Amino acid sequence: MTQVSQFPGRPLLSGRPLLEVSQLVKRYDAGKPALDGISFSIRKGEFVSVIGPSGAGKSTLLRCINRMIEATSGEVSFEGASVGLLDRKNLKRLRSKIGMIFQHYNLVERLTVIENVLHGRLGAKSTLAGAAGHYSREEKRQATEVIAMLGLSDHLYQRCDRLSGGQKQRVGIARALLQDPRMILCDEPIASLDPNASRNIMEQLKRFSQEMDIALIVNLHQVNVACKYSDRILGVNAGRLVFDGRPEELTPEKISQIYGAESRSLTAELGEQYAS
Amino acid sequence: MTALQQIPGRPLRKEKVVIRLLLLGLAGTTIYALATLDFGGIDMAEAVRDTLANLKIIFLHPGGPRLSFLSALEEVIITLGLAFLTTLFGGIIALFLGLLGAQNLSPKPVTVVVMALVALIRAVPTILWVLIFAVAAGLGSTAAVVGMTFHSISYLTKAYAESFEDLDRSVIEALKASGANWWQIVFQAVIPSSFSYLLSWTFLRFEINFANAVAMGAAAGASGVGFDLFMASGFYFDLREVGLITYIILAFAMALEAAATRAKGRIKHAG
Repeated sequence: MTQVSQFPGRPLLSGRPLLEVSQLVKRYDAGKPALDGISFSIRKGEFVSVIGPSGAGKSTLLRCINRMIEATSGEVSFEGASVGLLDRKNLKRLRSKIGMIFQHYNLVERLTVIENVLHGRLGAKSTLAGAAGHYSREEKRQATEVIAMLGLSDHLYQRCDRLSGGQKQRVGIARALLQDPRMILCDEPIASLDPNASRNIMEQLKRFSQEMDIALIVNLHQVNVACKYSDRILGVNAGRLVFDGRPEELTPEKISQIYGAESRSLTAELGEQYAS
Repeated sequence: MTALQQIPGRPLRKEKVVIRLLLLGLAGTTIYALATLDFGGIDMAEAVRDTLANLKIIFLHPGGPRLSFLSALEEVIITLGLAFLTTLFGGIIALFLGLLGAQNLSPKPVTVVVMALVALIRAVPTILWVLIFAVAAGLGSTAAVVGMTFHSISYLTKAYAESFEDLDRSVIEALKASGANWWQIVFQAVIPSSFSYLLSWTFLRFEINFANAVAMGAAAGASGVGFDLFMASGFYFDLREVGLITYIILAFAMALEAAATRAKGRIKHAG
């Protein structure tokens, strides 16, 4: 695809994984930890889904990676640099290399599509230029291009509160892509969408992951969706990593291990998925 | 349908009893006060008749031999200037204080201190602030500008901070996660989101400041149309001139209201 070449090439990190998480612990208060010693690593361009019951720590896990939440202990390293040791300036630089997508899109609803997408450039700009909303011609060109790739060209100057959920999520993806990220963290990206919009969003994510070599970590509720799109699946239960493997390895026993008591209906759902 | 036949009455709660007792007590004291009020030697019927006659002169026969239309206009523009200046100063300072007072933008201790401070300032009426500053600046326009600005700041800070809080924390989180810093988030997300609210509050405060500016002209000698009103009523006792000035103020207040409504409408449609 030609679009890929328009983004600057990035150095190859041969051998070393893009992201390494080791023994990550997050304790909110005296009670049970939200994350209890999680370790995994992610390669460049890998599509990884994180599944697990509500409250298992999936959202906390994502937010500990870019330090939106400070981990209690353990280490996260991204492109070889230890995230926990970064100062303010370098943390900002790190965050600008990691996109993030949310269940509720988290757009500035009163602004237009292109204004929201251009927000993806803020992390790379000086405080003054960013605050004044002064974007270069090149940045605007990139923004319109990304918007076109996501099929939103007709809505370029439409306010985001007039868009449907699926369209809003595509704006969210465009904003993340404009950061020119190495990795995108997706927190329940399809949990508020209908099946058609969900499929569209997942396919777009898969496509960008492959074409632009962007690693994806996607928190998901639907096991069948995770199986369909992921290169790898992580199963989390009560803050612990209980599964790390390819979708084919996710047997009904493994699912019940991840989801505990509520697994039976899910297993049935998975069976239907394979049957169809 | 037997379940519907007997709907249990809402239980009488403690707050409800207290409020009822309070209202009853207030009604009782009001009636008692009216019944025992000492009217002095005033004949009520005559008093009402005279008041109505005065009102008739004020509102039906306005006019003034001392005040030409042009000089009245000039005085109104001075009053408008007072209102504009204090709203402008107040708005600019309140914008920054509002950012510090908004819970989604600033740490908790800072918001508590800022909001407590402005609540304290707001609790004292504008006229008192003007008189307090008159100690240092002397009675006149300087004390009026400083005092009215002071009160405008505290009013607008609260209004702005609450408008800023309208933006969901999660939107701020999203921009923070993309590497944007505080100032960028404020100017790219928070202010654009709350702009029409900010405008509404500022216009409202401008109207309040216009009314205050009229009063300050009389009470603090800040000149403007308020001072003329004070002279016409208290010094010359010219009811017809009082009427003329009242109508001029009313006309300007209505013009302001119309302009504000139009401006707000345009902003909403443009967004």
